[in-house]
Amino acid sequence: MNRIQAENKLQRLFKHKSFYNDQWRAIEKLLEGKRILMIEKTGFGKSLCYQFPATQFNGITVVFSPLIALMRDQINYLKNLGILAECINSEQSDEENNEIIEKALNNKIKILYIAPERQENLKWLEAVKKMKLAMIVIDEAHCISVWGHDFRPAFKRIVDLVKLLPANFPVLAVTATATEKTAQDIKKQLGAEKITYIRGNLLRSNFKIQVARVEREEDKLGGILKFLTNIQGTGLVYTGTRVNTDIYANFLISQGIKAIAYNAGLEGEMRKEIELKLKRNEYKCVISTNALGMGIDKKDVRFIIHTQFPQSPIHYYQEIGRAGRDGKNTDIVLCYNPLDRDLPEHFIDTARPSKDRYERVVDILKNSPEPLRERDLTKKSNLKQNQMRVIKADLIEQGIIKEVMYGRGKRYEYQFNAPNLNTTKFEELRDYRLEELDKMIKYVEEHNCRMRYLRNYLGDKTNDVCGKCDNCLNKNIFWKNSSEMEKKVRNFYDSYFPELKVANGKTKLVNGVAASYYGFSNIGSVIHKCKYEKGGDFPDFLLKQTLRAYRKYFKNIKFDFIIFVPPTESGDLVRNFTEKLSKITKIPISYSLYKVKETKPQKVFQNFWNKKENVKDAFDYKNPQELFNKNVLLIDDIFDSGATIKEITKTLSKYNINLLSPLVIAKTIGGINVK
Amino acid sequence: MNDFTYITALAHLPKWRTERINLLIVDILKKKKLTFTEFFEVEKDTLQKDFGLKQKEIDDILEVKQELPNYAFLVDELLNQGFELIPIYSLDYPKTLKSNLGDAYAPPLLYIKGNKEIFQKEKVAVVGSRNVSQKGIDFTKKITKKLVKQGNVIVSGFAKGVDRVALEVALENEGQSIIVLPQGILTFSSGFKKHYQGIIQGNILVMSTYHPKLPWSVGLAMGRNRYIYGLADNIYVAESDFKGGTWEGVIDGLKKIKQFRMEGYRKIYVRYADRQEKCANNELIKKGVIGINNNLEVISDLNNLNQNKVNPEQIELF
Repeated sequence: MNRIQAENKLQRLFKHKSFYNDQWRAIEKLLEGKRILMIEKTGFGKSLCYQFPATQFNGITVVFSPLIALMRDQINYLKNLGILAECINSEQSDEENNEIIEKALNNKIKILYIAPERQENLKWLEAVKKMKLAMIVIDEAHCISVWGHDFRPAFKRIVDLVKLLPANFPVLAVTATATEKTAQDIKKQLGAEKITYIRGNLLRSNFKIQVARVEREEDKLGGILKFLTNIQGTGLVYTGTRVNTDIYANFLISQGIKAIAYNAGLEGEMRKEIELKLKRNEYKCVISTNALGMGIDKKDVRFIIHTQFPQSPIHYYQEIGRAGRDGKNTDIVLCYNPLDRDLPEHFIDTARPSKDRYERVVDILKNSPEPLRERDLTKKSNLKQNQMRVIKADLIEQGIIKEVMYGRGKRYEYQFNAPNLNTTKFEELRDYRLEELDKMIKYVEEHNCRMRYLRNYLGDKTNDVCGKCDNCLNKNIFWKNSSEMEKKVRNFYDSYFPELKVANGKTKLVNGVAASYYGFSNIGSVIHKCKYEKGGDFPDFLLKQTLRAYRKYFKNIKFDFIIFVPPTESGDLVRNFTEKLSKITKIPISYSLYKVKETKPQKVFQNFWNKKENVKDAFDYKNPQELFNKNVLLIDDIFDSGATIKEITKTLSKYNINLLSPLVIAKTIGGINVK
Repeated sequence: MNDFTYITALAHLPKWRTERINLLIVDILKKKKLTFTEFFEVEKDTLQKDFGLKQKEIDDILEVKQELPNYAFLVDELLNQGFELIPIYSLDYPKTLKSNLGDAYAPPLLYIKGNKEIFQKEKVAVVGSRNVSQKGIDFTKKITKKLVKQGNVIVSGFAKGVDRVALEVALENEGQSIIVLPQGILTFSSGFKKHYQGIIQGNILVMSTYHPKLPWSVGLAMGRNRYIYGLADNIYVAESDFKGGTWEGVIDGLKKIKQFRMEGYRKIYVRYADRQEKCANNELIKKGVIGINNNLEVISDLNNLNQNKVNPEQIELF
């Protein structure tokens, strides 16, 4: 088929007149059964490069894509054109997925979108071996490379698969964000000698990008509030941590802005709802970690503000990439305080657990009588779940352990003749990330065109300037609160209390509140001193703060009495604290909750499963009849996993309590709670 | 890497005899010196003229060509779960298997998990019927222990009776063992769970010649016996019925020994049975299998020309 013939078909099938040159280059090769790596900016039309050939092949094109929201959107678009497209993903029911698999087996689908994680799903693996396959597409192909900004182990499986595909089977890998180093790595992994590399220009000409210098966190809050009151349209604010999504969102809400916090800690349903409402412009802005972004299909994101600079320019380009896909003017602002370097540096430093933790996992698998499930492995190694995930992926990558299907479940096996753990790779990667971080800071301190800096960094070498960024316009931007704004921020700080989201609708437990975050100001260290360094009772300012939180949060609940969590090793601190609280609030205190077995301090345990096991069946209540139909306030010093509170709820629910709500001094943040 | 995809597709060509597959592989790689990629690109004509394939065979090849991407998914699944593929042309392929079974029966592809170096060691099979007598079991234990101490690898079919006993004794005595599966390697989860430690310590090698997803069946179990005999340098029969897998395997092996009659060719031993026993052991001795007693001493070897022929009926007098 030549270009003219193809464009005739294009007109008929997709209602487009012609291909861009880069599009046709890719399509021509794919039709010949070649492999392509394509790097083009968001909005270029990468999808057409596989959608068109897919309609020409006799068989199914499988598109591996990590983004369910984008999958859905593509499918609607294709279905409207009358092209048979479906997707298989975790948000659909098993019946729906099975129905689609059935269609695919009968060759009644042209394009099948699927999440890379499915490569580990037995049902899919069974089915795909019987499908008539025509082409494989890897969307967001930068996830293949550890040098990329978003390496995902599931993509490793796709690479393994591509290596095994017959030589003349067409494969297309596409991404909008890959540095030259990442691109070369992807090429190498997919078989460099056979792959055609197409790279387009990465200029986003509708972006007006700026850096706003600030000296304090308070000025960021104030600056963003001011910015939002003066701008049309809806957009996103990216923060560096989950906690900050809460803080920024609550501040903006308190000032009458329609904002909402979004992070990976939210339930799936909640996240979906926020995504949907964002799309319908029901918020002025969504405050999010980088958990939101790639999956958002919204063409008119009018602005993106970063309260904290990301780890590297590629992270940054990726995160701002979803804005302004409609081509209209779009504001991109990065808040910069030189002190902000600490956070990304911390993430880079702690991206990998220490070597002994890797060794711990290896030893457990080496000595186990049988292969272990993830949960058992995590429990036995007493590691945090996210650390376990990192370790697991690295050990698999290095061929030390394997993930093996046993029946329907996965288990982990040590491998005979496994190599030793190679930490040099981790160090190389860490050094590389630190260099990248430096380049991010260079971006901030750049005096010339910022868009050009980003393009050059990404390997799109150019001398062109954008003419729109703060540097091109010769504007230096500083954000500093007026005294009036400062007052607003201060007031907010003094009255903001983190919610404890413990209710799940199934138990008598309702949400509670903490007086503060553990790491906020000096609260953590004060508590620590009292608890573990014999510093005496919790000081009065903690009591005052806790009372404020209580009064603000529990306006609508009348408690019948207060109980407290019996101590493990901190003696009577919580009891004394509760007595004072009881005296002031005039809610009677009850001493009936007691421990029926010894427990260890929860902080010893690193993951929820171990914490849960530690406190399992540990509590009982002396006078259960006094609980009947009562509202009870439960006091503790620190709220971490919530396992203790859940266990106590379980015990008290037996005695027909009406409701139980926790009030604590501090809620932990958790060092790695980023996404 | 994608050679695995091609060889897997070829190894499971539907209804092709092993010999036909092996000869095609030799033709492609050795005679024509083509890569598999090149082979799957050749024209229909060439398949007919140069490779001498019949129309039906060409159709099969063309069909399997369409299925290559599917095989890629299968191979990917296997490799990711720690299985290895050993094609017949690989240096890792056990030499005994090739020389004992020849092109006619040597499987074109092995699926394995575990320590493949075991393949290159001295291997013995201790075999016998599923419903073995206590005497047979005692003998199995004794002989296995001795063989293991001598550094032999025990080849086991993982069947009930002699096979399992031999495997257990081998592992108890810190020996090494090859499990030859009567099923596809992906259907052996319970075995992999049970023998996890043996595998990761390098004492067990699990091997299957069948399509990885095939479940156990009588047919596969019978077919598997050939590979047990094929892998072993020497064979010890603890107990045989007058028919069935053990009997047939031994008779088959015996034919070959007679055929070759050469020095150093592998030997088959059988336990000499008491009169009351109903097994076919002594019948095998009569047919020329080397008889050994419970102390593992040779008491009859009809094939050894340097030794006096002994009438097995008289053995008890010794």
